[in-house]
Amino acid sequence: MTEQNDKKLGRRKFLARAGKAGISIAAAGIISYRLYDSQGPKPGVDVESLVTLPPFSVPSEEGKTMSIVKGADRRVTVNKAIELLGGIKRFVKPGETVAIKPNVAFASPPMLGATAHPELVAEVVRLCYKAGAKRVYVTDNPINDPASCFTLSGISKAASRAGAKVILPKDHHFKHTTLERGKLIKNWPIFFGPFEKVNKLIGITPVKHHARAGASMSMKNWYGLLGGRRNIFHQDINTIIAELAMMVKPTLVILDGTEVMMTNGPTGGSVEDLRRANTLIASCDMVAADAYGCSLLNLKASDLPYLAKAQIADAGTTDYESLKPITATVS
Amino acid sequence: MGSVPSRAKRLESVIGICLLAILLLIAVGVFIKQMPKQKKDLTFLLPYGFKTLSEIEVYTTENLYEKINGKAPLYIDAGFIKLSTQRFVSQADENLVMELYIFDMARTRNAFSVYSVQKRPEVENLPDMQFAYKTSNAFYLAHGQYYIELVGFAESDELFAAMAEVARKIPTNLAVHDDTAIPEIEHLPKDNLVPGSIKLYLASAFGFEGLTDIFAAGYQLNGETITAFLSKRSGPKDAEAVAESYRSFLIENGATAKKATNKTLEGKVLDFYDTTEIVLSTGPFVVGIHEAENQQSAENLAVMLVNKLSGTANNDRAK
Repeated sequence: MTEQNDKKLGRRKFLARAGKAGISIAAAGIISYRLYDSQGPKPGVDVESLVTLPPFSVPSEEGKTMSIVKGADRRVTVNKAIELLGGIKRFVKPGETVAIKPNVAFASPPMLGATAHPELVAEVVRLCYKAGAKRVYVTDNPINDPASCFTLSGISKAASRAGAKVILPKDHHFKHTTLERGKLIKNWPIFFGPFEKVNKLIGITPVKHHARAGASMSMKNWYGLLGGRRNIFHQDINTIIAELAMMVKPTLVILDGTEVMMTNGPTGGSVEDLRRANTLIASCDMVAADAYGCSLLNLKASDLPYLAKAQIADAGTTDYESLKPITATVS
Repeated sequence: MGSVPSRAKRLESVIGICLLAILLLIAVGVFIKQMPKQKKDLTFLLPYGFKTLSEIEVYTTENLYEKINGKAPLYIDAGFIKLSTQRFVSQADENLVMELYIFDMARTRNAFSVYSVQKRPEVENLPDMQFAYKTSNAFYLAHGQYYIELVGFAESDELFAAMAEVARKIPTNLAVHDDTAIPEIEHLPKDNLVPGSIKLYLASAFGFEGLTDIFAAGYQLNGETITAFLSKRSGPKDAEAVAESYRSFLIENGATAKKATNKTLEGKVLDFYDTTEIVLSTGPFVVGIHEAENQQSAENLAVMLVNKLSGTANNDRAK
């Protein structure tokens, strides 16, 4: 039977077939190469599946929007700063779930001031529980090995000891959002999961120099909520920070200027980059908090274009003095 | 006719084997590409009594932001290729941790630029290395094409001694392919130079986009630290054009012409909000003085700089 086939096949026919087979293999190879996606399949996003962060703010109270407390001990200053705004019970009600979003961007120890201070985070956790919170989450989305960032910053240990649940980012936490009136945040993944069902949101961040943005403070802290290749936003850093201020409406921000990173931010690396300013700000208006925070970096609010952009977008005011901030000094 | 089928059969076998060989080669290629790469770690710099705390991490221009976030553009704009980092921990005390960062900046001058522009003020320069200093918890070095940071996670004598050991190992253990000297540094006068004050701005020096490749240095004169700068351009015409455009930039921003006390600087001295700016070109160099409080000291330094460059040019010609 084989011999019969061979006889029927003939050389010319065989070569033609072999050529066709070769072309087919080459074509399959080229098509496979062109279609190869090293990232793997991505879920499609339709408009209906887009999410929006709910507002977490509390009703404003005349003269109780912002407080500035001078002192060296973060635990004491934060207690005083919140007390001056009406106390923690104004912000956290019994039975509520609170998310605390500290800046945990780097795997860096507390002494370098690149991340929120663990003592401060732990004290805010304790205050929330004191007010009757049912549950407190502490979470952030550092791109670089979140476990190392939370461990080396001392935040996971301090927050856990204070009773908080530390949430490290997982793929299922990210959902796409589009910011109304936004130019950059369009159909973009955000770290949404931990904030989806909480009642209140508190941001905690140190005052730092930032090589690209000029300064990293309360508004820049929300950069951690962005997923995807968020570095592309560094090309338009002022717009993205302003849009983050439009997207997130926190209950309270705590801006820690106890030690300020004056140069080489946002990573720092040397304790010589820090200056002790012994100042802590608590504010319901993060634009105002950051406008004041500029002075700790020897900057003016006008030096940071994102502040003006955020003000134009009604995210807050750069004229913090108009809010008549309550000031105090504690020992 | 009877031999044709057997020839065809042989040919068929050969082609079949060839196709199988190609498929095998493709499979091997895919396997090699997808095989987890064995990364070379930084243990060749491990100090005595320490062990690795983490695997080596390697970052490129694509993902540098993952490690240093908003600082990434500073390196990428200066020619960055790769960052390798690893943490070491004391075998005796888990709190004594250091992290080593080795930035491959492709060229010596790129490494020097990122080293110099980030240099902390009032630090101790390391005596045995040309570009190296320490702070109370860290060491910073520029070595060939590498910029190196060694950051301690605690302020401890034991940790600091171990970090000093790593810093000492670097010149001999970290091979460089670009160890070329930076000639402009030699063109700067040595008298009254503040040690370790030389900076290289690769772009936008003093806020002006047109000032690229600017070497700036501090000089202590009459109780004031004055900044002198120079940049070697492609030729005298280019140097004059850059000097002129920077002068125009200053004038547009409020500077006014000022009478020079030294005739050779006539037309080159500007008053900029009660500080003295001097900008001129000499041969292929743009030189100047930036924001000096004392005009006389500024002019003296400018003349010193021009004379040094003239001497250099004469030496070059003599050679």
